[in-house]
Amino acid sequence: MKFLCVPCDSPMTMRATEESEPGSLSVIYTCPECGYEMAMLTNPSETQFVRSLGVRIGPAVAAAIASPTNGVVSDGPVEQAAAGKCPFSAMIGGAATEVATDGPSWTPEALARLDAIPEMVRPMARAGIEMVARENGHQLIDEAVLSAARARFGM
Amino acid sequence: MRSYSQIVGDGGSGVAEQIAEIEHSIARRMANIRHVVAIGSGKGGVGKSTLTRQLAAVLTLRGKRVGVLDADFNGPSQAVLGGVRDLPPMPGAEGLLVPRTREGIQVLSVGSVLAEGAALDLPSVAPGSSHTWRATREFANLAELLAAVHWGALDYLLVDLPPGPERTAQFANFLGPGIKVVLISIPSALARGVVARSLDALRPLPNRVLGYVENMSGYACAGCGTVRPLFPEEPDAAGLDIPCLGRVPFDPELAQLSDRGLAVTDMNPKNEVVAAVTRVAAAIEQRLEEAS
Repeated sequence: MKFLCVPCDSPMTMRATEESEPGSLSVIYTCPECGYEMAMLTNPSETQFVRSLGVRIGPAVAAAIASPTNGVVSDGPVEQAAAGKCPFSAMIGGAATEVATDGPSWTPEALARLDAIPEMVRPMARAGIEMVARENGHQLIDEAVLSAARARFGM
Repeated sequence: MRSYSQIVGDGGSGVAEQIAEIEHSIARRMANIRHVVAIGSGKGGVGKSTLTRQLAAVLTLRGKRVGVLDADFNGPSQAVLGGVRDLPPMPGAEGLLVPRTREGIQVLSVGSVLAEGAALDLPSVAPGSSHTWRATREFANLAELLAAVHWGALDYLLVDLPPGPERTAQFANFLGPGIKVVLISIPSALARGVVARSLDALRPLPNRVLGYVENMSGYACAGCGTVRPLFPEEPDAAGLDIPCLGRVPFDPELAQLSDRGLAVTDMNPKNEVVAAVTRVAAAIEQRLEEAS
């Protein structure tokens, strides 16, 4: 989706975004030429539909949203779109795995390995790995424990 | 006034790039799979999932490297059929590793990550409008899984499709033009009619339909060793205009074995259902060789 300031014929840039209420975003765009501002307010269905595309963004892109440096406009007839990153995607997050306080600890490397698999299968994978760690008396889950878990489950 | 395409980029969302990256990852993950065969019907309850599981077992017995992808997110059964219900996928060095059956068949099924009897719950900020986004979300989840799984080299990836003629075509479209399709029917005019609709839905696509299998084609009586009709005979029933890859009788013993994660390869090789599934597997292999 792109926004164009009709009087200036200029791509608008995203100035700010916030989740104004659950399931809805307020995204403010501004025209770099005349300074006109407009806000796009999404309804929950629109928000959810874009979420359902399964796209996600990482910390770098989240940072780009937090401090938009967008609106790159060239002198040529074809110009860059208003930049900044997708606020819908920002809402999805790409939730990193939280380490439970009552289970075995994870090394950053092992946790990164877990976070690299799809979120959908992560809880069961994690439960399986932690079960193997407990069975073998490990308090810290590292690559060796991951390897033991794979062997335990026939992989 | 400037048009959409005159403004470079996608508005800054990066969505198009991310989707392209996912597609690239899927292609890379599936590059070492020789044949992807989607097994569908359109009609529910005709034994797609059971036949998929049995064909995988027989192909493995014939020395092939086989994986099974359970694409039915709302009625996953391959985890139970493969006996891997309690085996979680694991993070590996090269990607997501999926559990293997006793025969060594890799199985990717949502049934491996859902509690018994639980429906797949997809979080939403838009209660009451799941009809607008649910299918999109399911395909996105499937894409994410396919982009992550490290299958290694496979001769066959069998894809167990959900019911619905339009779903059959959607999944064929999603999986790409190179995949082949096998349709499952049973000896009833109603089922054949639905399968014919699936065939019609597939017609505009480039995917090749290898043929159909008539499942529940009689009842294999363990007492007398004969196969008797299970459905009323319909001499005037119109056939499907694709090759018949074989007929597989219903066998209660196989139904029992299936519930325990076992397969036809665990049965007496002289059993008619074993011979029938083996013939279907051979026919599929032959059709694929002819196509390649």
